[in-house]
Amino acid sequence: MASAPSKLYADDVSLLMVLLDTNPFFWSSSSLPFSMFLSHVLTFLNSILLLNQLNQVVVIATGYNSCSYIYDSSTSTNQGSDNGRMPARCVNLLQKLEEFVIKDEQLIKEGLREGIASSLLSGSLSMALCYIQRVFRSGPLHPQPRILCLQGSSDGPEQYVAIMNAIFSAQRSMVPIDSCYMGSSNSAFLQQASYITGGVYLKPQQPNGLFQYLSTVFATDLHSRAFLQLPKSLGVDFRASCFCHKKTIDMGYICSVCLSIFCKHHKKCSTCGSVFGQAQSDVNSTSNKKRKTPET
Amino acid sequence: MPQVRIIAKNFMDMVAALPAMKLDKLYENAFICEAILRSLPPLAKKYVLQMLCIEVPVTAKSMEEWVLPDGVSKHRVAIDRLIQLRIFTETVDRKRETTYTLNPIFQTNLKKLLLYGVVLPREPMPSNVTVRLPSSEDLEAFALEQWECFLLQLINSSQIERPSNISSSMMKIFQRGLLSQRDKEAPRLTESGFQFLLMDTNAQLWYIIREYISNSEERGVDSADLISFLLELSFHVTGEAYNINTLTEVQKNTIKDLADLGLVKLQQGRKDSWFIPSRLATNLSVSLTDSSSRKQGFVVVETNFRLYAYSTSKLHCEILRLFSRVEYQLPNLIVGAITKESLYSAFENGITADQIISFLQQNAHPRVAERVPSVPENVTDQIRLWETDLNRVEMTPAYHYDGFPSRDLFEGASDFARGYNALLWEDPEDSKKMSLVVKAENHVHMREYFSRQRQ
Repeated sequence: MASAPSKLYADDVSLLMVLLDTNPFFWSSSSLPFSMFLSHVLTFLNSILLLNQLNQVVVIATGYNSCSYIYDSSTSTNQGSDNGRMPARCVNLLQKLEEFVIKDEQLIKEGLREGIASSLLSGSLSMALCYIQRVFRSGPLHPQPRILCLQGSSDGPEQYVAIMNAIFSAQRSMVPIDSCYMGSSNSAFLQQASYITGGVYLKPQQPNGLFQYLSTVFATDLHSRAFLQLPKSLGVDFRASCFCHKKTIDMGYICSVCLSIFCKHHKKCSTCGSVFGQAQSDVNSTSNKKRKTPET
Repeated sequence: MPQVRIIAKNFMDMVAALPAMKLDKLYENAFICEAILRSLPPLAKKYVLQMLCIEVPVTAKSMEEWVLPDGVSKHRVAIDRLIQLRIFTETVDRKRETTYTLNPIFQTNLKKLLLYGVVLPREPMPSNVTVRLPSSEDLEAFALEQWECFLLQLINSSQIERPSNISSSMMKIFQRGLLSQRDKEAPRLTESGFQFLLMDTNAQLWYIIREYISNSEERGVDSADLISFLLELSFHVTGEAYNINTLTEVQKNTIKDLADLGLVKLQQGRKDSWFIPSRLATNLSVSLTDSSSRKQGFVVVETNFRLYAYSTSKLHCEILRLFSRVEYQLPNLIVGAITKESLYSAFENGITADQIISFLQQNAHPRVAERVPSVPENVTDQIRLWETDLNRVEMTPAYHYDGFPSRDLFEGASDFARGYNALLWEDPEDSKKMSLVVKAENHVHMREYFSRQRQ
């Protein structure tokens, strides 16, 4: 129609889902103290809400054992005219965060997990996507959603399948996943997430200036991204984790039916139950065109 | 098609037009910084945020590296806007290098906003003092009623039953440009007046407020003060009561005018009196940006050119009467018909077919709004056809030349005019009379041509 109805939402209205890593194992060893990190993030959230009165911010805490919504600007008490109550907003968020961390800690004591200290990123990603789906279904007029992962702890290969599923569903619903990784080495999961969904992956060189990184790169609304130079990913680690031992592998076996990945040859696929051929040569002769044998 | 547009959303132009001194004074108020930041184009907003913690000047060259080649034009628009509003200061140093710095007052205020937030100059009154506060529905209804009453008075002063307190001189100012008064005739809605009625409430509100502000100097009120007060008002919480004694004398007068427009409701308690901002007031700063809310439609147009409007509003009836024949008026329904005669009178008033169609489309009843098209095609086509019926004659200012001394000169002149693509008409060749008609804008060229030929 020539005369489009007056737009309720301008191009730059965004819904920002922030996934906040609260993993105590990481923050106790990090060079940037958690309190500093929080003050950078809170200022960043304030600036997002300042940019447009229709902008919406939702914060999800990613803990060690659990994840939870800790802040939603659309349901906070002083919604509509968030005037001069910034302290109230922060107090609200910090209180919820504290409750969450205490609860998360109790869960650790109950089910003591050993080994790598990774956060439950898959859980919080799924929660963010669920929230976004709800926004999508609320009507034709909704803000442009995007996800920002503020992650510090290292990847948990045991979450590989869940995270990849989340990434692909984000890609399907055209939701970019931005990631700001605070850890020491790069995160393969987040690199892949941002690469696949068209988001930005950034590892701040100087964590002390986190706010500047956040405001320069991650405050950009989706509309403006088309015109701006944003950090491009150089070399994404595309390595997958195997389903059987949850190890990151360079080369492996793939089920031809369900594409599950294994580090060793199995007789039967543990995911879909299809029976694999015995020897390499047999497989090749029956359906050479379809299968990609991993060892060629 | 000539189109006179009411520029209703040029708040920034208005602020930019303020003298530098006043502008700097405005930025001392953190609310204004916030409102202005929100009204900037997206790219400009981003630049401000990016520069927020940078104290040193940033060169234009490095700034250009922020954008992709595709975005250069948007980049320029954003930078120009920022300079215009004096948020960025442009300096050219000895090496001919252009650098930008953020306005320090603006910068400090924004930083304060981000870190600590700002507190309104007045607190809401405790609920034990203000006993009978209106519910949010009541307040909404009050605001709408007040606003509609005002609009009705604006377009048709005779229809009004309960005139508002807005002085007639003030009304005249608002009506300026919207109504045209010919001698001894009832005032008529002009083209821009009709466009005004078509706009959504936020845009209308902004237009009126703009007139109110631009007229403020005549009333002895400083326009910068007024702008800052209005913006501040928009950050108050809807439905809360604020003590009137916290206002200055000028602001008290202003708030009375605003109450007549439905922006605030005034209430009188035993000791104090207070004002309660309505949604209209809190939307003031929203209406500065392009985003605007949409009202629910009420009009159903059928293929037989009949028009059903589910509305109790007198204003809607008045608007429909502008281009249709209203047949019945039931308590909640207005039935009308779009006829050739009714449309002709609308076209005579300078209303265009497109405006009528877009009005019908934008206000389509939810039941028909889902349909594509929401207004039947045969109706829209016929409205356009009737309009083109009137536009068969195209007017072009022109000069008529005749009495050429020779056929050669005549033909030379007509060729010359043809060269400028300015020849509108010439005598057919067999005719004895030699005359031609040339566009008025090329008269100078023709004169030069003739004087050259005479030599």
